[in-house]
Amino acid sequence: MLDRQNYLKVKLFLKFSRDVHGRSSLQISTDFEHLKALLLWAGSQPISSAPAFNTSLPDFLFQKVEKGLIQSELKSILNTNQRFLLWAKAMFPVEFQNIRLSWIMKIPAISE
Amino acid sequence: MSENQNSSNCRISRNVLIKAPGLLPMLYTPREIAEDLDVPETTLRDWLNHGAPHSRDESNHIWIDGRQFAAWVDSQRNARKKPTHPLQAGEGFCMRCNTIVKIQNGEIRPVKGRLSHLKGKCPICGGIVNRGIWNAGSAELSQG
Repeated sequence: MLDRQNYLKVKLFLKFSRDVHGRSSLQISTDFEHLKALLLWAGSQPISSAPAFNTSLPDFLFQKVEKGLIQSELKSILNTNQRFLLWAKAMFPVEFQNIRLSWIMKIPAISE
Repeated sequence: MSENQNSSNCRISRNVLIKAPGLLPMLYTPREIAEDLDVPETTLRDWLNHGAPHSRDESNHIWIDGRQFAAWVDSQRNARKKPTHPLQAGEGFCMRCNTIVKIQNGEIRPVKGRLSHLKGKCPICGGIVNRGIWNAGSAELSQG
């Protein structure tokens, strides 16, 4: 079972993206699909402890690449996840204090 | 605690059939799952009354497992499929009796290429039964 708090944070991020950044319904839908990878990766653990997970997010996604995920899609998934983590760190600074900004900024670069 | 009040089939929209496999393996509230599937919450609660898998906690709040719900949606789709019965050699569909019958006194006439026309009588009502057949062979006439 996935952590419900992670799911609620993702939902909050999507609402924020729609209301504040004016992202369209299609973009929101795509973002949610991308963030599902993050939710599945985190599993039952809170995302705020992400750097301590056994498998890294890129490794998790590379397993999906072997199952047919396109490289360009992988890049956009990582970009969306980076946007979410940056937002989460800004919105929940205490909870996400263990996630360093440098770690978040490295996320999209890993796919190259 | 799981509840199944009424296990009759529900009409599930195509949109839900497409979106349901994307549900996550977690517990959803009815409102969340209704938002994710883009259906009214009342519709979802109706499905719950018709046997969609859900559970209630000690506070009587409803929780829906995403994967179980997706499996239920899939089962509803399969339940609505009518059983098919491909026509065998010498069989046809009688429009009067509204059923599949063995064609009697069948005659095959070539139409074009490999397509032929089988015309015969219904053994029940005696009406004319027509059927188009590809690669007509002796098996079609042996029944008549």
